Amino acid sequence: MPKAITYKANSVIYFRGDVGDKIYILKAGRISLNSNDIETGQDIHDHIQTGEFFGVKSAMGKYPREETALVLTDASVIAFTVPEFEQLVATNTRVIMKMLKVFSNQLRRMHAKVSSLLAQEEESDPEEGLYRIGEYYLRKKEYSKARYAFNKYLTYYPAGRFHQDANKFAQTAEAYLLKYGTGKGPATAGLATAPPSAAAASPAGNSARDSSSGLSNVAQKYYDAVSTFSQQKYAEALAAFKRIAESRDDEEYTVKSLFEIGRCLYTMGQYDASIRHFTGFVQRYPGSPDLKDALFYVGQSYQRKGETERAGSFYSKILSMEPVEDGLKRKVQKAIRSLEQEA
Amino acid sequence: MELNSGAFERFAVTFDKGDIIFCEYEPGDSFYLIQNGRVQISKIMGGLEKTVDILHPGEIFGEMAILEEAPRSANAIAVDQVKALEFNRANFEILMRGNPQITLKLLRLFTKRVYDQRRRFMILTLDDVSAKVADVFLMLNEMKPPDNLESDERVFHTTAEDVAHWAGISPEKARDVIQHFTSQRRLEVMTDRIIVKNINEFVRFVNSRRRQT
Repeated sequence: MPKAITYKANSVIYFRGDVGDKIYILKAGRISLNSNDIETGQDIHDHIQTGEFFGVKSAMGKYPREETALVLTDASVIAFTVPEFEQLVATNTRVIMKMLKVFSNQLRRMHAKVSSLLAQEEESDPEEGLYRIGEYYLRKKEYSKARYAFNKYLTYYPAGRFHQDANKFAQTAEAYLLKYGTGKGPATAGLATAPPSAAAASPAGNSARDSSSGLSNVAQKYYDAVSTFSQQKYAEALAAFKRIAESRDDEEYTVKSLFEIGRCLYTMGQYDASIRHFTGFVQRYPGSPDLKDALFYVGQSYQRKGETERAGSFYSKILSMEPVEDGLKRKVQKAIRSLEQEA
Repeated sequence: MELNSGAFERFAVTFDKGDIIFCEYEPGDSFYLIQNGRVQISKIMGGLEKTVDILHPGEIFGEMAILEEAPRSANAIAVDQVKALEFNRANFEILMRGNPQITLKLLRLFTKRVYDQRRRFMILTLDDVSAKVADVFLMLNEMKPPDNLESDERVFHTTAEDVAHWAGISPEKARDVIQHFTSQRRLEVMTDRIIVKNINEFVRFVNSRRRQT
């Protein structure tokens, strides 16, 4: 049976770290949930509204309380066990919906925090992401999955950036599926090692993709190194990019590799080296299409080093250099927000 | 979870073995409750497809779509012939009224997701790389209650790559740290598993490295 309990002012209903199986609803009085922000350690005081539940997540999930429930003025609450609570809300769709919304908001906030700490690159736009999935499966000769992804792409982005290729590859996938079956068939030309950024950015990448072995030797080496990088073998990728840059076989790939060297250094946590490298890069190749990205990595390196002011000045510089490509703009704005949170 | 009434039959969908149910980045507007067969949840990262989870009958996936039409965060692929009930925001109310148990299950699922995400964040906030790695083992330990509470030793079916993923560090770095722990006899690494010699010692170690709040 749910129990009505009264508490005197300044008493504590539960402490952070306690394991408890009770869920409470506030009937009267004032209660504050006190916790520390897990990122900054700042004190947080959330006041419970009359009629509001608290202690739900930790009781249902059977994990320690994340906050201390402190009674501010004499208060009365009703305490439920988890089964009692579930019975109560099971028939109340409105309450459940509200809780699902609260939890999903918390989930999204936590997710954003985790992503910002991981500085994930993966926040590429969904349009490109969907297209790349089709490419991945086509490369793996999983034609029915490739067909699914390309067709979904065409459904959602009928006039999207990749619609021509998606259309072509959807047909390829369809034809190979009928002709060869999953897991067999020819290696799909051009898709083999072309990395997302290079293939999308340069016209050279696109033409290489149409011919079955149109890639020059140095381009092939470059794409291999990009793929090594994407397999998170950063030291190995760094060495490969250095070899390409030093060989100076092809100016285009020299510059591209120099950019990638900086990215390797940054990803490996060598922020000082990354700053030095990109600074040199920017001075030497002011016309590089990767210029703004290079500045972004300098900013990120400073931010990682805790030099937030310097990081901020690089971010605002990028934004002042119109036009800024959408993906980069979002990343920069996000970085600025994270600086503000750190401050 | 049994839905023995035929009332939900009209929400049933079937997938053949190997079919994609949905793929990452696709806008999502429905979620699924598995009736028969298994579903693989995977993500393509760095040119490799990684299995995140294998789900069984009674389990729910795609649940974020109930609240918002955000892009899917992973692929869902039928491992066997799969039968599932498909719900969306429009018919979610019907589901809730007809089967409150599912809604409670959803509520529990969200609770767990929030906690897991928060726990993961705690790892990332540690400054010391060794402590991050140790804390990954503590998290894995919390997720799966030990078979034998008497012993301080814990066995984890995991790899340096997985540890690197959770700790947000490079696999090279993770291997270095694990190697170092191994040389100190705090870890033992086998091909398919990693053994923590004394989980309580790791608890003390991580606590000593955590910023006091």
